[in-house]
Amino acid sequence: MSMVETTPGAWEPKIVAFCCHWCTYTGADLAGLNRMNYPANVRVLRIPCSGRMNPQYALDALNKGCDGVLVCGCHPGDCHYSTGNYFARRRMLVFKRLLEYQGLEPERFQVRWISGAEAGKFRDTVTEVVEQVRALGPLHLNHELVLSGMEVE
Amino acid sequence: MSDIQEAMRSRAKELLESGEVNAVIGWEAGRFENQTTPLITSQAAKTQRLVFNEYCVNNLGKYPRDLTAKGKVAIFARGCESRAIIRLLSDEVIKRENVYIIGIGCPGMRDRTTGELLKKCAECRHGDPVIYDEMLGEPQAKPATQERFAEIQKIEALPRAEREAYFTNAFSKCIRCYACRNVCPCCTCRQCFVDQRREGWLGKQNNIAENRFYGLTRVMHVGDRCIECGECERVCPMDLPLMSLNRKVIYDINNLFGEYETALSLDEPPSALTTYKVDDVEEFM
Repeated sequence: MSMVETTPGAWEPKIVAFCCHWCTYTGADLAGLNRMNYPANVRVLRIPCSGRMNPQYALDALNKGCDGVLVCGCHPGDCHYSTGNYFARRRMLVFKRLLEYQGLEPERFQVRWISGAEAGKFRDTVTEVVEQVRALGPLHLNHELVLSGMEVE
Repeated sequence: MSDIQEAMRSRAKELLESGEVNAVIGWEAGRFENQTTPLITSQAAKTQRLVFNEYCVNNLGKYPRDLTAKGKVAIFARGCESRAIIRLLSDEVIKRENVYIIGIGCPGMRDRTTGELLKKCAECRHGDPVIYDEMLGEPQAKPATQERFAEIQKIEALPRAEREAYFTNAFSKCIRCYACRNVCPCCTCRQCFVDQRREGWLGKQNNIAENRFYGLTRVMHVGDRCIECGECERVCPMDLPLMSLNRKVIYDINNLFGEYETALSLDEPPSALTTYKVDDVEEFM
């Protein structure tokens, strides 16, 4: 966290990336092994499978001060548990549309399939998401606090 | 309707006296003019209090959940009750042998104060029971007077900022009384996530962020199993547009995975979000 907030006063986007243990997390690991650079705005959280991605996690992250959420898993067909990401795909298709319907910018919730070998794709995706969210600015879901003059941390 | 009311009373009395059922679920006159309230009784004498008129606004479909533990119950079912019962049956909340369904055709119910057709009844596409053991009176075959997804398409057409303002305003009114959850025939978890205090999903504060969290999570939990009875919206004391959220999920499932309407018969495929196809829409590459 300290790496991001080095310049006092400057706002930096905070992104949570929910990564499947078998593909994307390994892909992120490979990106690290290959000494690739990607923005430190992203916090990688490991989940056992993208099928474990509970929509409540994303809502909670956005409520508690994240500016964007990225969900990553194995390519369809490559799931370690055979079918987890097929279920995740249906759920996330519906959930993403629901979030956008009630007013969230599409860039703030994104889903990508990144395999364990695609370190470059992980780097590119993270960079792209961070830049998109940076352009949007901070997310204020708790309007009440904003309206009453209290900044949300 | 008065002949149906008479038939209801005599049939309920017969069933209770013969011991075929333990309890009967219906409506009785409420305290105010043109108001009705659910009646649950196991005494044959009390069946004379049963009423059926155009102000029977309550969906009784969730009551069997709490009552079938003691034995068989009889329930008067219109379209919405019968679909709620199918919901409970396919969620394995109740057993078919524990519920005796007496079907009634529904002409649509009216608001007590304004006398207008209720919004949920104007949108209703299945007024007549889709499952029953016996039928009282004739099916009404009432057509829906309101397009199923008209409201969704109207909101979708708004610019993003306006949609955000619309729903932020709605969630700012929510008092999290959980009436929508308590009345919903799809919300049958033994413990709801909002009651899991130690998990900390929701605090006890009332703020827009947590109201939104509750609202959207509930939609994701019930969205693909929603029977569109509109009870959540009717019971909401703050008049939140809850069906516009529920129907949005149904609308998307419709568009993405094929025409979808749930709880119309007992042998239905699993609900849309608990299954998958290998060649589903792909937009996350």
